[in-house]
Amino acid sequence: MSKNSVPNMQNKSVISRLGGQKFIVLLVVIGLIIFFSAVSPDFRKYSTAMSILDYSYYITLMAIGVTFPLITGGVDLSIGTGLICYSLTGGFLIVQKGWPVWAGMLVAVLLGIAIGFLNGVLVSIMNLPPFLATLCTCMITRGLGSIFSKGFGISWPTTGAPGSWFRNIFKITVNGTKIPLGFLWVLLLVAVMAFVLNHTKIGRYTIAIGSNKEATILSGINVKFYHIMAYVISGFFAGLAAIAYSAVFSTVQPGTGAGFELEAIGGAIIGGVSASGGVGSVVGSLIGVFVICLLKTGLPYIGLQANWQQIITGLVLIGAVLIDIMKKKKEKG
Amino acid sequence: MGEVILTMKEIDKSFPGVHALDHVSFEVRKGEVHALMGENGAGKSTLMKVLTGIYKKDSGTITYEGKEVEFHNTREAQNAGIVIVHQELNMLGHLTVAQNIFIGREFKKGIAIDDKKMNEEAKKLFDRLHIDIDPTETMSSLTVGKQQMCEIAKAISHDAKVIIFDEPSAALTETEIEELFKIIRDLRKQQLGIVYISHRMDEIKVITDRVTVMRDGTYVGTLITEESTKDDIINMMVGRVIYEDPKQHSMVAKDAPVVLKVEHLNAGRMVQDVSFELRKGEILGFSGLMGAGRTETARAIFGADPKESGDIYINGRKVNINSPEDAVKCGIGYLSEDRKRYGIVVQKTVAENSTMATLEKYMKGLFIDKKAEKQVSQEYVDSLATKTPSVNQLVVNLSGGNQQKVVIAKWLVRNCDILIFDEPTRGIDVGAKNEIYKLMNKLAEDGKSIIMISSEMTEILRMSDRIVVMCEGKKTGEIAIEDASQEAIMNMATREIS
Amino acid sequence: MKKKVLTTLLCVSLAATLLAGCGGGEDKSANADPAPATDDAAPATDDAEPATDDAASNDTAEATTGGDYKFEIIVKSYQSSYWQAAVTGVNQKAGELGVTVNCTGPNNESDIADQVNMLNNAINNAPDGIGLAACDQEACLDSLQTAMDNGIPVVCFDSGIPNAPEGSVLATIATDNYAAGATAAENLYPALKDKIASATAPVRIGEVNQEATSESITSRGLGFIEKIIELAKADGKTVAVIGNEYYVNNCSDKGDEASADIIIEVAVPAQTTVEMCATEASVILNKADTIGMFGSNQVAAEGILTANENLDVLGTDPATSILAAGFDAGSVIKGAITSGKMFGAVTQSPLAMGQTTVEVLTKIANGESVSDVPTQGYWYDSTNMDDESIAPNLYD
Repeated sequence: MSKNSVPNMQNKSVISRLGGQKFIVLLVVIGLIIFFSAVSPDFRKYSTAMSILDYSYYITLMAIGVTFPLITGGVDLSIGTGLICYSLTGGFLIVQKGWPVWAGMLVAVLLGIAIGFLNGVLVSIMNLPPFLATLCTCMITRGLGSIFSKGFGISWPTTGAPGSWFRNIFKITVNGTKIPLGFLWVLLLVAVMAFVLNHTKIGRYTIAIGSNKEATILSGINVKFYHIMAYVISGFFAGLAAIAYSAVFSTVQPGTGAGFELEAIGGAIIGGVSASGGVGSVVGSLIGVFVICLLKTGLPYIGLQANWQQIITGLVLIGAVLIDIMKKKKEKG
Repeated sequence: MGEVILTMKEIDKSFPGVHALDHVSFEVRKGEVHALMGENGAGKSTLMKVLTGIYKKDSGTITYEGKEVEFHNTREAQNAGIVIVHQELNMLGHLTVAQNIFIGREFKKGIAIDDKKMNEEAKKLFDRLHIDIDPTETMSSLTVGKQQMCEIAKAISHDAKVIIFDEPSAALTETEIEELFKIIRDLRKQQLGIVYISHRMDEIKVITDRVTVMRDGTYVGTLITEESTKDDIINMMVGRVIYEDPKQHSMVAKDAPVVLKVEHLNAGRMVQDVSFELRKGEILGFSGLMGAGRTETARAIFGADPKESGDIYINGRKVNINSPEDAVKCGIGYLSEDRKRYGIVVQKTVAENSTMATLEKYMKGLFIDKKAEKQVSQEYVDSLATKTPSVNQLVVNLSGGNQQKVVIAKWLVRNCDILIFDEPTRGIDVGAKNEIYKLMNKLAEDGKSIIMISSEMTEILRMSDRIVVMCEGKKTGEIAIEDASQEAIMNMATREIS
Repeated sequence: MKKKVLTTLLCVSLAATLLAGCGGGEDKSANADPAPATDDAAPATDDAEPATDDAASNDTAEATTGGDYKFEIIVKSYQSSYWQAAVTGVNQKAGELGVTVNCTGPNNESDIADQVNMLNNAINNAPDGIGLAACDQEACLDSLQTAMDNGIPVVCFDSGIPNAPEGSVLATIATDNYAAGATAAENLYPALKDKIASATAPVRIGEVNQEATSESITSRGLGFIEKIIELAKADGKTVAVIGNEYYVNNCSDKGDEASADIIIEVAVPAQTTVEMCATEASVILNKADTIGMFGSNQVAAEGILTANENLDVLGTDPATSILAAGFDAGSVIKGAITSGKMFGAVTQSPLAMGQTTVEVLTKIANGESVSDVPTQGYWYDSTNMDDESIAPNLYD
């Protein structure tokens, strides 16, 4: 997929030729599907697959976006509460103020871009550590969400209600069969962003910043701009995720959303994004997210109780981070 | 040597409170390697920064290819054909070689970057330089030497006519330096003008055609390398002759007790079955090429890296060192080669740094006893002759040599009897070097025991009472100073390299 | 840095309080203003869900007359529609009785310190009584002592303060969650009765609880379970409870899964999100023998509805579909009941609770003796949603 991960074919193992960690994680995804299907007949149903996809969109979209700040060596913790904030604001305008649905969606995405820009400025121009900067905007968006929606929970138009057409963006019923249209958009966006990461200046300089910011500056590159762009991309996708979330879950409640970002970031790291920057792929992040989504959906199907589900998800994450650290050690010598 | 391609005349540059360049002149001809020398702070870097547009000169003229020029940033200088190969490698480890070389000026196909063309162009460049590197290789997988080749290729790819090498050999092994010289000679043949900044006198003699020496922001003079001796150059740099002779015999008493004994130490690939003894009042030199495992050995002894096996005895008693904290308790102090990362906290004062390892001694209840802290650090500033306006000065404002003294003070305050100096004079100018040497000798006389890791042969021969040589993680020899010679040491240091 | 952030946030929350603060006073009737908001606070923390038995309070209302009294009312959060409804109830009753009330509350239910401040300010105003819905059971103990020392009577509503200084809290008006859970069972069971009677194999009733830790949720869950057991036993059927350990171990009789006629399966998600509730609900809805579902708060009920988006198994006809009962209101649940996806739900009555609080305070001021008022939930479905006794409590 990415040029930089497949140099010098003859020296690399079969696995790294097939995409390294991505490939292993894809095997894990397939393994999980086979395992859950074998243990639970209900898991094999079409409706279950639909549910997994439905519930994955918002995390996947966040993960695509947050891959960029992660590759710069930063992080964006504001996407979870941001998502709720954008969704509340958009929904408030639609339901309370009678705005057309498309306008509410647009506001959600624009707000995402604005918060992303703010993150970028804090990190790139004001030199705040990304963790701190986005933690601040995480808190700010949590507060803003309540203010914009006047503190009320908001339900976007439910199925059948006027304005519910936007749900069809993600799931459309044709002759009684539900088509997971959203997955198509996700794949499309993954393809576009993979291209952006690997074959455009924005992506190239995102990786460069994560590799060695000083050196990138010395190469005469407008690092401030590209650094901000990474966070803008993250914010933009958080805005898209807000729409996906509203379409699937209808009701958005102020004060929630903290923790969503961890699933997206966790997915990206499982998918091979290095916790210390410079390395990562959009496709990997997509596959990584599905490990988390499959665990979230599959573990209840095999009758595992709540606490165990979290423990297992945590263990998988530790595993992914350990692989990252081991890879780094190997690189070093 | 061809015609003059670059002339800097009467360049003057002042910073608030410092006259950094005082009417300095400098010229480069096509097809020459021109060394620029001087102690740290002599103004070499400032001069080059003025040339490449990082600093704006106050007065003076720069003539390049017959026209007066003034660059406003490195980009402009690059475009004109003047590039710097930096001392710290500016590598983007996760990108490929070709992506690094063309960073900031990628070939494009529509909005996409044309990696294929970049790989082809990089290949052409390498062919021209007779370098064998795959352009699609990830940069971080290359050796430091190869990375530097890429830096050079990157410089050339700007259609460089003048290349400035800023201490290029600092991190290279002997073989890599040889390769570097081959390339530099190649470039010279291609009629490029090359500026070579280095502290290493031997290299200057080998590779350069002319030497320009600066001192305290002024131009001292230019010599033809072939016609001058080391002492000539050093004289110009410091204004005095430096004693560079090897030590004749060990200064350690025959019956001096063994203070540190290391037996069969193993710690990864870089430390394999290392054993040695260190006596009271001894300076034990650790010699070897880059990557021989000397620093790793020191770090394992100090507890900074985990060790797999091996015993350490201090004054005959077996000790268990699992962390730097344990080591310090045993009276071992470690002066890292990378002062800024491991040795000092640059944004703290001299006093704060001096007591950092001993803070519990300077506490009054919950608070730091600032008065006692100042007093003790002043004592060491005096005894080590650290040049600082006061102990309240931030360490970042001191020169390299004086920073090193602050680190030494830190361990002396702690009462460490065993000091490990890792490249004690790296990045320190010649004058200050001498002072550090004197200081180390004095410490040894006072009964401290010193392990000195050094890559500079003259330093090893001058300072050590005994020399341990390592190669690829193994101890390959031990030699008394009386029997030591450059050849003998090199022989041991390269023993296992085929 | 952090301090700055906190300061900023404080300002933000202050501003938010100002923005939303006066809403309650303007709402003359709770149902008139269709604030399309689901109650965030109540389902999330879940000790915040009272339902007032307003039959009881209406009886006493006739007898109570207000003097020229002044009361301070402090709610848990001034923002959610749940509390807006409570404030509306307070203002209505105050107008009826001719007493003066001053309502305040923090921006968020987690702003415990803010609320304690408000309580202290209220005490300083020396009112004739204070109505308090405490965010934290421990944080206001000192203030309650002060109130008692100053002779100011306090009435707790929504949630009680078990460790309050003896004599400081004169009455507690709080939902009987156990009874509210039972209400759901009482209404769901009759609809399933025929199917259970005619079933040849065991049938399954699912219950999704957001968690297994808070008192309110567990009481509702157990209330539902016990009522089903009671009703089934009356019909000569045996019941087994399986699933989440807490509920299985705390019900009166967990029965034997192998021989039972009715299996109650209790699911608790790993996280208290709609998504995870939906996943747990899907697992149960997927089973062929499932005939009924109960979601014990808004999040759980919406989770069941979200799961149904892909499964399409819910309905109101027990012969062809699974019947689901919910809890609380909100436009999603109301919409599902209207469209026949959800059989019915239990709502609490913040409005009546607010009324009762003022009434009890007035009684105290009049020197009458008072006691705790347990309140219960109301069953609503498509047939009675618009009834005057129900509609005001169905916030959006």
